[in-house]
Amino acid sequence: MNIWFQWVCFSLFLLVMPSLAVGLIRKTKARLQNRRGAPIYQPLIDLCKFFFKGETVSYLSSWIFRSSSCVQLACILLIAYLAPWSSLKPFCTGGDLFLIIYLFALIRLVTVLAALDTGSVFGGFGASREVTLAVIVEPAIILCFVSLAAVSHTSDLGQVFSFSNQALHYDSPLWLTCGTGMFLASIVELSRMPVDDPTTHLELTMVHEAMVLENSGRNLLLVEYGHSLKIIVLLGLAGQCYLHSLPSMWTSSAAVQIIASILCLLLLLFAIALIEATNVKLRWTKIPEFVAYSLVMSIVSVFIAIWRA
Amino acid sequence: MAMNIYDLIALSSALLAVLMLGSMQIKNNLVFYSIHTFLLSAETWWIEKLTSDTHLFYVGLTICILKAIFIPCFLNWVRIRIGVRSESAAFLTPPIAMFLGAALMGLSYLISTQLPSILGEGDTRIGATAAMSILFTGVLLMLTRKTAMSQIIGFLVIENGIYLFTLTQTNGMPMIVEMGIMLDVLVGVMICGLILFRIKKNFEHIDVSLLTGLRD
Repeated sequence: MNIWFQWVCFSLFLLVMPSLAVGLIRKTKARLQNRRGAPIYQPLIDLCKFFFKGETVSYLSSWIFRSSSCVQLACILLIAYLAPWSSLKPFCTGGDLFLIIYLFALIRLVTVLAALDTGSVFGGFGASREVTLAVIVEPAIILCFVSLAAVSHTSDLGQVFSFSNQALHYDSPLWLTCGTGMFLASIVELSRMPVDDPTTHLELTMVHEAMVLENSGRNLLLVEYGHSLKIIVLLGLAGQCYLHSLPSMWTSSAAVQIIASILCLLLLLFAIALIEATNVKLRWTKIPEFVAYSLVMSIVSVFIAIWRA
Repeated sequence: MAMNIYDLIALSSALLAVLMLGSMQIKNNLVFYSIHTFLLSAETWWIEKLTSDTHLFYVGLTICILKAIFIPCFLNWVRIRIGVRSESAAFLTPPIAMFLGAALMGLSYLISTQLPSILGEGDTRIGATAAMSILFTGVLLMLTRKTAMSQIIGFLVIENGIYLFTLTQTNGMPMIVEMGIMLDVLVGVMICGLILFRIKKNFEHIDVSLLTGLRD
């Protein structure tokens, strides 16, 4: 397949899929709650609506607020092009794991700065909660990546996830623990249900929504699109871990891998919807207990990596 | 170095046991216990497939029916009758207990590398690691929890650890021994369940840390 054609396909996928993923979560959740729900493409229409809407910006806010949504989207797009979160992506070197981790941290930094910059009360406490969560969930993601990198002797994520690294072939336990750790950590990172309710705007409970409350119009479009892109990138990385744990995937053709990676992504989206439909939001003091599960998974994967090395 | 399904099942059941430490809800613990025990019976069936020892199939089936389905259902029934929802308090908070469980998993690997291989064929170290980790987890469950319900679950987890150890090191004991142990466990759990009713009736709670201050 022509490499240019592949890049164009991937970019189109990147443009449409995030919104569809959010729509899919909402639709599944509605179906599970015996509601009809909005159509799957509704978030896409919402984004178009935001594009034509006017903007209200607080006169107290500075250039930090104006630039943050652009920086945020640029970072997540860079991650989406570098990180191997889908087999659909053409091969690309340079997706170093520390670069990816720091880009995620940079996204968080600009979001928090923008939330603090507007001077609203909601932004302040949303930012404080987000940073608290980040402190406890970041070790899990780092340990998962590092244990994979230690076994494969490279820090380039593109090579770790390329179905060609023989050091990781048949290493199902490591892939499974890393995948579960990544999935649980990404639930926290994406502020989905047991940690944060994405649909609520009640001041006592919201975390991520509180930070982006001041955005409107095109700013909101950038923020929403960036966040939904983050959903499929993080879930895609967890899904790739699960796919690599199946030894038969390593020897199958590229087309099968592409289809399997998309199916795996859809399956994880469905899992998120299932969790959201059946669970209630945890009390704030109980959240470290939830994060501990993903931390334990990452610690176990580090043990397996030490045993391998 | 490739890792086969045999090791994968043993390790995942050990991991599920560690995850049991993380929840204070007794119902969650019972669900985790049920899956964890089911994985043990899957391990038994897998060894039956490897060694073509037909009696292991019946041992696995008995474990699946009695320990993975009947005992959790029975304990859940007792739990509903007593009206306990969750652990009132623990000596260690769940996240720390879980980290300790993960650390003990690493320790049990260090111990299992020192063990001589009894059968002398194949690599039994991962099986021994998983078994010892389950054993340690059960001890941790019994030590850190305060309700009598969790103590029973901890005891059952210890028993699973011992069973997995014999299974992985000697490819299964004779049928009659397994059945005897199974009967003992079943009777033990039934008696514990009945005693729970008595404790609840006499003291109106099942917190074992308060049972030391008995007076007539």
